[in-house]
Amino acid sequence: MVILDPAHGGTDPGARGTGGVRESDIVLEMAAQVKRGLEAQGFQVLQTRTANENPSFDDRSALVNAQSGAIFLSLHVSSTGLSGTVRVYAMPDMALAPANGGLIPWEQAQAAYLPLSRKLGDAVQGELAQKFKGSPAEVQTASIRQLRTTAAPAIAVELSSVSIPDKADLDKLLPGVADAIVRGVVTFRPSYVTAAPASISSAPAAGAKP
Amino acid sequence: MSPKWRVRILIGLVVAVVAAAIYLPVLKKRVKRQAQVQQKSEEQARRELTQSLNANSNEPKVKAKLYWAADGDDSGLSSTTVELPLSNDPTLRAKQVLNTLLAGPVDSELKTLPSDAALLAFYILPDGTGVADFSEAMTTSIPSGIQSEQLAVDSIARTLSENVPQVKQLKILIHGQEVETLAGHLDLTGTFPVNANIPAKK
Repeated sequence: MVILDPAHGGTDPGARGTGGVRESDIVLEMAAQVKRGLEAQGFQVLQTRTANENPSFDDRSALVNAQSGAIFLSLHVSSTGLSGTVRVYAMPDMALAPANGGLIPWEQAQAAYLPLSRKLGDAVQGELAQKFKGSPAEVQTASIRQLRTTAAPAIAVELSSVSIPDKADLDKLLPGVADAIVRGVVTFRPSYVTAAPASISSAPAAGAKP
Repeated sequence: MSPKWRVRILIGLVVAVVAAAIYLPVLKKRVKRQAQVQQKSEEQARRELTQSLNANSNEPKVKAKLYWAADGDDSGLSSTTVELPLSNDPTLRAKQVLNTLLAGPVDSELKTLPSDAALLAFYILPDGTGVADFSEAMTTSIPSGIQSEQLAVDSIARTLSENVPQVKQLKILIHGQEVETLAGHLDLTGTFPVNANIPAKK
Protein backbone atom coordinates (compact mmCIF):
# COMPACT_ATOMS: atom_id res chain seq x y z
CA MET A 1 0.00 0.00 0.00
CA VAL A 2 1.40 3.42 -0.93
CA ILE A 3 -0.10 6.71 0.22
CA LEU A 4 0.67 9.62 -2.08
CA ASP A 5 0.42 13.09 -0.58
CA PRO A 6 0.16 15.92 -3.11
CA ALA A 7 1.08 18.79 -0.79
CA HIS A 8 -0.98 21.94 -0.26
CA GLY A 9 -4.27 22.49 -2.14
CA GLY A 10 -7.42 24.54 -1.68
CA THR A 11 -6.62 28.04 -0.44
CA ASP A 12 -2.96 27.04 -0.05
CA PRO A 13 -1.36 26.96 -3.50
CA GLY A 14 2.16 26.34 -2.08
CA ALA A 15 5.00 27.77 -4.14
CA ARG A 16 3.93 30.05 -6.96
CA GLY A 17 5.80 30.82 -10.14
CA THR A 18 5.30 33.48 -12.77
CA GLY A 19 2.48 32.85 -15.17
CA GLY A 20 0.27 31.31 -12.50
CA VAL A 21 2.15 28.04 -11.98
CA ARG A 22 1.10 26.63 -8.62
CA GLU A 23 2.80 23.90 -6.63
CA SER A 24 -0.57 22.48 -5.58
CA ASP A 25 -1.53 21.85 -9.22
CA ILE A 26 1.80 20.40 -10.32
CA VAL A 27 1.98 17.88 -7.47
CA LEU A 28 -1.53 16.66 -8.26
CA GLU A 29 -0.39 15.87 -11.80
CA MET A 30 2.77 14.27 -10.41
CA ALA A 31 0.71 12.08 -8.08
CA ALA A 32 -1.46 10.87 -10.94
CA GLN A 33 1.62 9.72 -12.87
CA VAL A 34 3.23 8.09 -9.84
CA LYS A 35 -0.04 6.32 -9.05
CA ARG A 36 -0.26 4.83 -12.53
CA GLY A 37 3.32 3.58 -12.32
CA LEU A 38 2.88 2.05 -8.86
CA GLU A 39 -0.38 0.33 -9.76
CA ALA A 40 1.32 -1.17 -12.80
CA GLN A 41 3.80 -2.70 -10.35
CA GLY A 42 1.04 -4.21 -8.25
CA PHE A 43 0.85 -1.63 -5.46
CA GLN A 44 -2.41 -0.43 -4.02
CA VAL A 45 -2.36 3.37 -3.98
CA LEU A 46 -4.37 5.94 -2.05
CA GLN A 47 -4.02 9.74 -2.16
CA THR A 48 -4.48 12.27 0.63
CA ARG A 49 -6.28 14.43 -1.91
CA THR A 50 -7.42 13.96 -5.48
CA ALA A 51 -8.78 17.45 -6.15
CA ASN A 52 -8.20 21.02 -5.05
CA GLU A 53 -8.89 20.50 -1.36
CA ASN A 54 -6.44 21.00 1.52
CA PRO A 55 -6.67 18.38 4.26
CA SER A 56 -4.79 19.30 7.41
CA PHE A 57 -1.39 17.80 8.23
CA ASP A 58 -3.03 15.55 10.83
CA ASP A 59 -5.79 14.43 8.46
CA ARG A 60 -3.18 13.42 5.90
CA SER A 61 -1.21 11.51 8.55
CA ALA A 62 -4.42 9.90 9.78
CA LEU A 63 -4.99 8.36 6.36
CA VAL A 64 -1.64 6.61 6.32
CA ASN A 65 -1.60 5.80 10.04
CA ALA A 66 -4.86 3.90 9.62
CA GLN A 67 -3.24 1.52 7.14
CA SER A 68 -1.07 -1.44 7.97
CA GLY A 69 2.23 -1.78 6.13
CA ALA A 70 1.84 1.41 4.09
CA ILE A 71 4.54 3.79 2.94
CA PHE A 72 4.07 7.53 2.56
CA LEU A 73 5.34 9.81 -0.20
CA SER A 74 4.74 13.56 0.12
CA LEU A 75 5.14 15.40 -3.18
CA HIS A 76 6.37 19.00 -3.46
CA VAL A 77 7.69 21.58 -5.92
CA SER A 78 9.99 24.30 -4.60
CA SER A 79 10.20 28.05 -5.27
CA THR A 80 13.97 27.98 -5.62
CA GLY A 81 16.85 25.63 -6.30
CA LEU A 82 18.67 24.42 -9.35
CA SER A 83 15.97 23.86 -11.95
CA GLY A 84 15.52 20.29 -13.02
CA THR A 85 16.87 18.73 -9.83
CA VAL A 86 14.94 16.64 -7.35
CA ARG A 87 15.60 16.15 -3.65
CA VAL A 88 14.29 13.56 -1.24
CA TYR A 89 13.95 14.33 2.45
CA ALA A 90 13.43 12.24 5.56
CA MET A 91 13.13 13.46 9.15
CA PRO A 92 16.31 14.05 11.16
CA ASP A 93 16.97 12.07 14.33
CA MET A 94 14.01 12.04 16.71
CA ALA A 95 13.79 10.86 20.30
CA LEU A 96 12.06 7.48 20.36
CA ALA A 97 9.17 7.74 22.80
CA PRO A 98 8.36 4.52 24.69
CA ALA A 99 5.24 2.79 23.45
CA ASN A 100 2.40 3.15 25.92
CA GLY A 101 0.10 0.16 25.84
CA GLY A 102 0.96 -0.48 22.20
CA LEU A 103 0.38 3.15 21.19
CA ILE A 104 3.05 5.62 20.12
CA PRO A 105 2.64 9.38 20.64
CA TRP A 106 1.07 11.06 17.62
CA GLU A 107 3.51 13.95 17.72
CA GLN A 108 6.46 11.56 17.42
CA ALA A 109 4.88 8.89 15.25
CA GLN A 110 7.70 8.97 12.69
CA ALA A 111 10.47 8.27 15.23
CA ALA A 112 10.20 4.46 15.11
CA TYR A 113 10.25 4.45 11.30
CA LEU A 114 13.30 6.64 10.71
CA PRO A 115 15.69 3.89 9.62
CA LEU A 116 13.15 2.59 7.10
CA SER A 117 12.32 6.11 5.92
CA ARG A 118 15.97 6.81 5.24
CA LYS A 119 16.33 3.52 3.39
CA LEU A 120 13.30 4.40 1.26
CA GLY A 121 14.70 7.89 0.75
CA ASP A 122 18.08 6.59 -0.40
CA ALA A 123 16.40 4.17 -2.83
CA VAL A 124 14.28 6.90 -4.41
CA GLN A 125 17.01 9.56 -4.39
CA GLY A 126 19.41 7.11 -6.05
CA GLU A 127 17.01 6.65 -8.95
CA LEU A 128 16.38 10.41 -9.21
CA ALA A 129 20.10 11.20 -9.23
CA GLN A 130 20.53 8.98 -12.28
CA LYS A 131 17.84 10.82 -14.23
CA PHE A 132 18.27 14.41 -13.00
CA LYS A 133 21.81 15.73 -13.14
CA GLY A 134 22.75 17.84 -10.14
CA SER A 135 20.39 16.02 -7.77
CA PRO A 136 21.97 14.64 -4.59
CA ALA A 137 22.94 10.97 -4.45
CA GLU A 138 21.48 10.37 -0.99
CA VAL A 139 18.45 11.36 1.00
CA GLN A 140 18.67 14.70 2.89
CA THR A 141 17.17 15.36 6.31
CA ALA A 142 14.78 18.16 7.19
CA SER A 143 12.28 18.58 9.97
CA ILE A 144 9.15 18.46 7.82
CA ARG A 145 5.84 18.90 9.59
CA GLN A 146 3.97 16.36 7.46
CA LEU A 147 6.44 13.59 8.09
CA ARG A 148 6.65 14.00 11.87
CA THR A 149 3.20 12.59 12.61
CA THR A 150 3.38 9.76 10.07
CA ALA A 151 3.67 6.23 11.46
CA ALA A 152 5.12 4.63 8.35
CA PRO A 153 8.26 4.84 6.22
CA ALA A 154 7.82 8.39 4.97
CA ILE A 155 9.68 10.74 2.66
CA ALA A 156 9.11 14.06 0.93
CA VAL A 157 10.12 14.47 -2.70
CA GLU A 158 10.72 18.06 -3.89
CA LEU A 159 11.19 19.01 -7.54
CA SER A 160 12.88 22.31 -8.40
CA SER A 161 11.09 24.50 -9.25
CA VAL A 162 8.05 26.62 -10.07
CA SER A 163 10.51 29.28 -11.24
CA ILE A 164 10.98 27.40 -14.54
CA PRO A 165 9.57 30.02 -16.95
CA ASP A 166 7.66 27.66 -19.21
CA LYS A 167 5.23 25.29 -17.47
CA ALA A 168 5.56 22.91 -20.38
CA ASP A 169 9.23 22.41 -19.45
CA LEU A 170 8.20 21.63 -15.89
CA ASP A 171 5.56 19.20 -17.11
CA LYS A 172 8.20 17.38 -19.19
CA LEU A 173 10.06 16.51 -16.00
CA LEU A 174 7.11 14.78 -14.36
CA PRO A 175 7.25 11.40 -16.17
CA GLY A 176 10.92 11.01 -15.26
CA VAL A 177 10.25 11.93 -11.63
CA ALA A 178 7.35 9.49 -11.47
CA ASP A 179 9.37 6.68 -13.00
CA ALA A 180 12.27 7.21 -10.59
CA ILE A 181 9.93 7.24 -7.60
CA VAL A 182 8.30 4.00 -8.72
CA ARG A 183 11.67 2.31 -9.24
CA GLY A 184 12.83 3.48 -5.81
CA VAL A 185 9.72 2.13 -4.12
CA VAL A 186 10.08 -1.20 -5.92
CA THR A 187 13.71 -1.42 -4.78
CA PHE A 188 12.70 -0.61 -1.20
CA ARG A 189 9.75 -3.04 -1.01
CA PRO A 190 11.71 -6.21 -0.02
CA SER A 191 13.38 -4.30 2.86
CA TYR A 192 10.03 -3.26 4.28
CA VAL A 193 8.42 -6.67 4.02
CA THR A 194 11.13 -8.20 6.18
CA ALA A 195 12.06 -5.31 8.53
CA ALA A 196 10.18 -4.05 11.58
CA PRO A 197 10.12 -0.44 12.85
CA ALA A 198 12.80 0.37 15.43
CA SER A 199 12.10 -0.89 18.97
CA ILE A 200 8.57 -2.00 18.20
CA SER A 201 8.03 -5.72 17.73
CA SER A 202 4.79 -5.21 15.86
CA ALA A 203 3.76 -1.96 14.24
CA PRO A 204 1.10 -0.47 16.48
CA ALA A 205 -1.24 2.19 15.27
CA ALA A 206 -0.28 5.73 16.29
CA GLY A 207 -2.28 7.14 19.20
CA ALA A 208 -5.40 9.12 18.42
CA LYS A 209 -4.63 12.45 16.86
CA PRO A 210 -5.18 15.46 19.08
CA MET B 1 -48.59 59.34 13.80
CA SER B 2 -49.79 60.96 10.57
CA PRO B 3 -49.00 59.26 7.27
CA LYS B 4 -46.90 62.28 6.28
CA TRP B 5 -44.56 61.79 9.22
CA ARG B 6 -44.36 58.07 8.60
CA VAL B 7 -43.23 58.75 5.05
CA ARG B 8 -40.64 61.26 6.25
CA ILE B 9 -39.25 58.82 8.81
CA LEU B 10 -39.12 56.08 6.20
CA ILE B 11 -37.28 58.31 3.74
CA GLY B 12 -34.86 59.31 6.50
CA LEU B 13 -34.15 55.66 7.28
CA VAL B 14 -33.59 54.82 3.63
CA VAL B 15 -31.16 57.73 3.26
CA ALA B 16 -29.31 56.60 6.40
CA VAL B 17 -28.98 53.03 5.11
CA VAL B 18 -27.74 54.20 1.70
CA ALA B 19 -25.23 56.56 3.32
CA ALA B 20 -23.95 53.78 5.57
CA ALA B 21 -23.65 51.41 2.62
CA ILE B 22 -21.49 53.98 0.84
CA TYR B 23 -19.43 55.22 3.81
CA LEU B 24 -18.75 52.00 5.77
CA PRO B 25 -16.53 50.32 3.13
CA VAL B 26 -14.51 53.56 2.90
CA LEU B 27 -14.19 53.65 6.68
CA LYS B 28 -13.19 49.95 6.75
CA LYS B 29 -10.48 50.60 4.17
CA ARG B 30 -9.13 53.54 6.18
CA VAL B 31 -9.02 51.52 9.40
CA LYS B 32 -7.22 48.64 7.64
CA ARG B 33 -4.69 51.03 6.11
CA GLN B 34 -4.08 52.65 9.48
CA ALA B 35 -3.49 49.25 11.10
CA GLN B 36 -0.96 48.35 8.40
CA VAL B 37 0.85 51.65 8.84
CA GLN B 38 0.91 51.12 12.58
CA GLN B 39 2.28 47.60 12.24
CA LYS B 40 4.94 48.75 9.78
CA SER B 41 5.88 51.58 12.14
CA GLU B 42 6.07 49.14 15.04
CA GLU B 43 8.33 46.77 13.19
CA GLN B 44 10.37 49.63 11.76
CA ALA B 45 10.86 51.02 15.26
CA ARG B 46 11.96 47.65 16.57
CA ARG B 47 14.35 47.21 13.68
CA GLU B 48 15.82 50.66 14.20
CA LEU B 49 16.19 50.00 17.90
CA THR B 50 18.07 46.78 17.38
CA GLN B 51 20.16 48.28 14.60
CA SER B 52 21.08 51.15 16.87
CA LEU B 53 22.24 48.52 19.37
CA ASN B 54 24.85 47.54 16.84
CA ALA B 55 25.76 51.04 15.73
CA ASN B 56 26.13 52.56 19.18
CA SER B 57 27.92 49.64 20.73
CA ASN B 58 31.07 50.44 22.64
CA GLU B 59 32.32 46.91 22.38
CA PRO B 60 35.52 46.35 20.47
CA LYS B 61 35.15 44.89 17.02
CA VAL B 62 35.77 41.17 16.83
CA LYS B 63 35.62 38.71 13.98
CA ALA B 64 32.25 37.03 13.66
CA LYS B 65 31.38 34.19 11.30
CA LEU B 66 28.07 34.48 9.54
CA TYR B 67 26.51 31.90 7.27
CA TRP B 68 24.73 32.76 4.05
CA ALA B 69 24.00 30.71 0.94
CA ALA B 70 27.05 29.29 -0.81
CA ASP B 71 27.72 30.75 -4.23
CA GLY B 72 27.12 28.12 -6.90
CA ASP B 73 25.61 25.63 -4.47
CA ASP B 74 21.91 26.14 -4.09
CA SER B 75 21.63 23.93 -1.03
CA GLY B 76 24.67 24.76 1.07
CA LEU B 77 25.94 27.51 3.32
CA SER B 78 29.17 29.42 3.18
CA SER B 79 30.80 31.31 6.03
CA THR B 80 31.76 34.96 5.79
CA THR B 81 33.92 36.60 8.43
CA VAL B 82 32.90 40.13 9.35
CA GLU B 83 34.18 42.48 12.01
CA LEU B 84 31.45 43.49 14.42
CA PRO B 85 31.30 45.12 17.81
CA LEU B 86 30.06 42.11 19.77
CA SER B 87 28.94 42.12 23.36
CA ASN B 88 30.16 39.56 25.89
CA ASP B 89 26.55 39.19 26.97
CA PRO B 90 25.28 36.15 25.01
CA THR B 91 21.74 37.49 24.51
CA LEU B 92 22.93 40.80 23.15
CA ARG B 93 25.62 39.07 21.13
CA ALA B 94 23.00 36.81 19.54
CA LYS B 95 20.88 39.82 18.61
CA GLN B 96 23.88 41.54 17.05
CA VAL B 97 24.86 38.59 14.85
CA LEU B 98 21.29 37.77 13.85
CA ASN B 99 20.58 41.37 12.87
CA THR B 100 23.71 41.34 10.74
CA LEU B 101 22.56 38.05 9.23
CA LEU B 102 19.19 39.63 8.43
CA ALA B 103 20.87 42.61 6.81
CA GLY B 104 22.37 40.15 4.34
CA PRO B 105 25.66 39.73 2.48
CA VAL B 106 27.08 42.09 -0.12
CA ASP B 107 25.70 39.81 -2.83
CA SER B 108 22.00 39.93 -2.11
CA GLU B 109 21.46 36.75 -4.17
CA LEU B 110 23.06 34.84 -1.32
CA LYS B 111 20.62 36.00 1.34
CA THR B 112 19.00 33.21 3.31
CA LEU B 113 16.48 35.33 5.21
CA PRO B 114 13.82 37.71 3.82
CA SER B 115 15.05 41.30 3.58
CA ASP B 116 11.90 42.67 5.21
CA ALA B 117 12.01 40.32 8.21
CA ALA B 118 12.94 41.76 11.61
CA LEU B 119 14.20 40.16 14.81
CA LEU B 120 11.69 41.27 17.40
CA ALA B 121 13.30 39.59 20.39
CA PHE B 122 15.90 37.05 21.42
CA TYR B 123 16.42 35.40 24.79
CA ILE B 124 18.15 32.34 26.18
CA LEU B 125 16.36 29.94 28.48
CA PRO B 126 18.18 28.23 31.39
CA ASP B 127 18.44 24.98 29.37
CA GLY B 128 20.34 26.75 26.58
CA THR B 129 17.40 27.15 24.21
CA GLY B 130 17.79 30.35 22.23
CA VAL B 131 14.35 31.75 21.40
CA ALA B 132 14.36 33.93 18.28
CA ASP B 133 11.15 35.87 17.72
CA PHE B 134 10.82 37.16 14.18
CA SER B 135 8.27 39.39 12.48
CA GLU B 136 5.62 37.89 10.22
CA ALA B 137 7.65 38.68 7.13
CA MET B 138 9.85 35.75 8.10
CA THR B 139 7.03 33.40 7.09
CA THR B 140 5.28 35.45 4.42
CA SER B 141 8.30 36.64 2.44
CA ILE B 142 10.49 33.55 2.53
CA PRO B 143 10.33 31.47 -0.68
CA SER B 144 8.13 28.47 0.00
CA GLY B 145 9.90 25.13 -0.24
CA ILE B 146 11.70 22.57 1.92
CA GLN B 147 15.12 23.58 0.59
CA SER B 148 14.78 27.34 1.09
CA GLU B 149 13.16 26.98 4.50
CA GLN B 150 15.84 24.54 5.67
CA LEU B 151 18.56 26.87 4.42
CA ALA B 152 17.05 29.77 6.37
CA VAL B 153 16.99 27.82 9.63
CA ASP B 154 20.46 26.34 9.04
CA SER B 155 21.96 29.80 8.48
CA ILE B 156 20.49 31.03 11.78
CA ALA B 157 21.56 27.90 13.71
CA ARG B 158 25.06 27.80 12.26
CA THR B 159 25.63 31.51 12.84
CA LEU B 160 24.56 31.15 16.47
CA SER B 161 26.74 28.05 16.85
CA GLU B 162 29.84 29.95 15.75
CA ASN B 163 29.28 33.09 17.77
CA VAL B 164 27.11 32.30 20.81
CA PRO B 165 28.25 29.00 22.36
CA GLN B 166 25.72 29.37 25.19
CA VAL B 167 22.91 28.55 22.74
CA LYS B 168 22.41 24.78 22.44
CA GLN B 169 19.18 24.65 20.50
CA LEU B 170 17.06 27.15 18.59
CA LYS B 171 13.35 27.84 18.91
CA ILE B 172 11.72 30.10 16.35
CA LEU B 173 8.61 32.14 17.12
CA ILE B 174 6.71 34.41 14.78
CA HIS B 175 5.42 37.59 16.41
CA GLY B 176 5.62 35.93 19.80
CA GLN B 177 3.66 32.86 18.77
CA GLU B 178 4.60 29.30 17.97
CA VAL B 179 3.55 28.49 14.40
CA GLU B 180 3.25 25.11 12.74
CA THR B 181 5.58 25.72 9.80
CA LEU B 182 7.96 28.35 8.47
CA ALA B 183 6.35 28.67 5.03
CA GLY B 184 4.31 25.49 4.69
CA HIS B 185 7.00 22.83 5.12
CA LEU B 186 9.56 23.13 7.90
CA ASP B 187 8.21 22.18 11.32
CA LEU B 188 8.60 25.04 13.82
CA THR B 189 6.86 23.33 16.74
CA GLY B 190 10.08 21.84 18.04
CA THR B 191 13.64 23.08 18.39
CA PHE B 192 16.62 22.89 16.07
CA PRO B 193 20.04 21.76 17.26
CA VAL B 194 22.65 24.50 17.25
CA ASN B 195 25.95 22.85 16.55
CA ALA B 196 28.80 22.82 14.13
CA ASN B 197 27.55 19.75 12.27
CA ILE B 198 25.40 21.66 9.82
CA PRO B 199 27.28 21.29 6.52
CA ALA B 200 28.88 24.37 5.05
CA LYS B 201 31.37 25.02 2.30
CA LYS B 202 34.73 26.07 3.68
